[in-house]
Amino acid sequence: MSFNLFMCGVGGQGLVLLTSVIGDACARSGLNAVTGEMYGLSQRSGTVSVHMRIGESVFSPLIPYGEADVLMALEAVEAVRYIEYLKENGIVLMNSRIMHPPAETAHLIADKNAKYITLDDVIGRLRKWTRNIAIIDALNLAKDAGNINAENAVFLGCLSTLKAFPLEANILKASIARAVPAKTVEQNLKAYDLGRDAAYRQLCKLVDCRENV
Amino acid sequence: MVLADVVSNEKRSVFMLCNEAIVRGAIEADVKVAAFYPGAPTSEVLDTFSDAADYFDYHMEISANEKVALEVCAGAAFAGLRSLTAMKSVGLNVASDTLLVLGYTGVRGGLVIVVADDPHAHSSQTEQDGRFYAPAAYIPMLEPSSPQEAKDMVKKAFEISEAYRIPVILRTVTRVNHQSGIVQLEDIKRTPYERVSWSSLNEQYITLGAVAREKKLKMLERAHRIAESFEKSEFNTLIEADTETGIVTASVAYLYVLEALRMLGLESKVKVLKLGTTYPIPKRLLGLFLKTLRRVIVVEELSPFIEKEVCVLAKEVNPKLEVYGKLSNTFSEAWEFNPDIVAEGLASTLKLPYATFSERLHTAQKLKMGLPDRYPTFCAGCPHRATFVALNQALKIQASKGMRHYFATDIGCYSMWVFPPISHADSSLCMGASVGIANGLAHAIMERPVAVVGDSTFFHAAIPGIVNAVHNGNKFTLIVLDNSVTAMTGQQSNPSTEQTAGGKLGKKVSIEAVCRAIGVEFVEVVDAYDVKNNVEIFRKALEFNGLAVVVSRRECALYADRNKRRKGFPITPYSVDKAACKRLYTCLRTFYCPAYELDEDRQPRISPELCDGCGVCSSLCPLSSIKQVKA
Repeated sequence: MSFNLFMCGVGGQGLVLLTSVIGDACARSGLNAVTGEMYGLSQRSGTVSVHMRIGESVFSPLIPYGEADVLMALEAVEAVRYIEYLKENGIVLMNSRIMHPPAETAHLIADKNAKYITLDDVIGRLRKWTRNIAIIDALNLAKDAGNINAENAVFLGCLSTLKAFPLEANILKASIARAVPAKTVEQNLKAYDLGRDAAYRQLCKLVDCRENV
Repeated sequence: MVLADVVSNEKRSVFMLCNEAIVRGAIEADVKVAAFYPGAPTSEVLDTFSDAADYFDYHMEISANEKVALEVCAGAAFAGLRSLTAMKSVGLNVASDTLLVLGYTGVRGGLVIVVADDPHAHSSQTEQDGRFYAPAAYIPMLEPSSPQEAKDMVKKAFEISEAYRIPVILRTVTRVNHQSGIVQLEDIKRTPYERVSWSSLNEQYITLGAVAREKKLKMLERAHRIAESFEKSEFNTLIEADTETGIVTASVAYLYVLEALRMLGLESKVKVLKLGTTYPIPKRLLGLFLKTLRRVIVVEELSPFIEKEVCVLAKEVNPKLEVYGKLSNTFSEAWEFNPDIVAEGLASTLKLPYATFSERLHTAQKLKMGLPDRYPTFCAGCPHRATFVALNQALKIQASKGMRHYFATDIGCYSMWVFPPISHADSSLCMGASVGIANGLAHAIMERPVAVVGDSTFFHAAIPGIVNAVHNGNKFTLIVLDNSVTAMTGQQSNPSTEQTAGGKLGKKVSIEAVCRAIGVEFVEVVDAYDVKNNVEIFRKALEFNGLAVVVSRRECALYADRNKRRKGFPITPYSVDKAACKRLYTCLRTFYCPAYELDEDRQPRISPELCDGCGVCSSLCPLSSIKQVKA
């Protein structure tokens, strides 16, 4: 049994922390885990990606093309950028948020007819690869949880509903509590719960989920 | 959480980044001195040592450059203390002068040198194979493939180093350093940190002329003994199979091989020799393996380092052996591997049907057509962006008077100026090279050379170039972007920071005082955010008949924000007044802050969660339409 998760986003969204939370939960569950992490040149605003592999028979820190069970994108455009890693009809778990890079804005200023890429455009592209696309308004859920930086915890909550995801909620939550600053633990756990609830409303109509207890 | 695992006394399994596992291994091995200059993909080694400094009694420092860091460690090892340094591939180029001498002098205490190559040049100016330094220096080398193995090898490397009185290189690649995995914690057995009486040691570390010639013979003999011991190393492992096809591999390529064999359904159908000791190569072990084969595939990054050894050995032990690898063009010498590249290479050699991945990539590529690129860029609030806005205005004014320039950038966050939408630089080489290059250009071109370095680069490698310019009268303009930290690698301290490693108070070295002491006649210090005033100062520096230095100072925004949050100071964002904005785009056209985008009316809009509140864009708007949000 193995579970391949490809995570991506924009520098500053907390992917590194998310990786160590999932990894810690694996270690405490007695599961094997291997990752390949790529942070990019810039400290913020650049593209960030993490190959996360859980279970037996995973060797390489990089997921082979077309073998990721889930592509989790904390920024919508980034989902398309790494689509080759997702298996056929794999699951895309994606933020509705688009962070337009300065080069795209510069293009709009230079060309009056140019337009920003839209969420519909992104979804249209992804649909040519898979039908299983769940879109989460993670920024607003994080705001509702009281911490604008907790988008990553929202996504972990979503992920936790999947039947194929091998980690238990109590262990994940304990790992969150260990990883984040003490004063933000409550907000992050709230964000996790809001993410989980959002997934049960939307994602679980598309794919196999755990029972909502 | 991770720090808790690094310092934990429990003997359990934890999830760790390889760079953290290296630190844990060194701590378990009772390391006493650690010195570094940061550089991706090794920076987390330094950061973890820094974070854990309060828990142990080791001495740790962030050195001015990799050569000094290696010398700090060598000095400690001369006295018998276990020491460790880690550097990126190009860092070893800087430290190589010392490395090659240490092969001669040897050491007393264990000295481990972690060297991380960066196949694919993810975060480096070049792809290079640092393994060639090991035979050049006659220094033994171990290559781990995973965090657990890296930790085991660090501990063993200290033992080898002390047994043979020689430094040991632990050679990694980016996909090893930035690989996390499950690591077994073992006992931390620390001895108290004690100074050594040098005079009672009876040691000498000299090499020159006749002494060097004598030591060379000893060095060769030592390499022979080490090779002999590597024949039985636990780091060289063999997967047996009933076949005449074998693979020789090392480092992360070993993991790609295992993955590729799974993908091709060839598990336990091909022999695999995984080498952990790649210099000196265990020739008997390798020769015996090659003897059993009809064909061998060598899978390694980046150069055909092991492959050439295989070819030489095969000539002796198995002349009919077919050797596949980089020399046969089965694999390219360019760029890094991944499981699919390795699977395709194996399949083509073994003539197996394999649905190549290029079709999948082609389909993906079609879906990505017209997707906006996300180039590395300056953070919101970055002082470099403000410096470049003023500098560009000054350059434009000079150009309008017929005075053009050559722009030499260097290594640091500011090198991101070469990416769109800015794309402005005539050259960008390696640490400090912009200053050296400007010295030469000053005699070769009609334009004014302009060089740029950061504070950390200034101390690392720029000072000799400035001395050279003053002494020889070479005329150019040097901008020192002083943001107080080594920002690109994660805001580590450097001589321009008031702190040293581990957050201890350190003495700040003044860049302008250094320049004045060298004899630079034009030295100005400006606030990077003060764009309006800086234009004229930059312009004067461009016109100055001699070497002109402008230090543009302002703390790295990420570093400053962290300090603000710690002290409870608010970070108040700015916003655009839609009624006042006439869509001149002055804020965007020259500034390109990532907190900006256009709204549905194509008016600039600032994302409050990204805005740093620096206010520089506000000072650029001729209509004063950008104002700080009232708290």
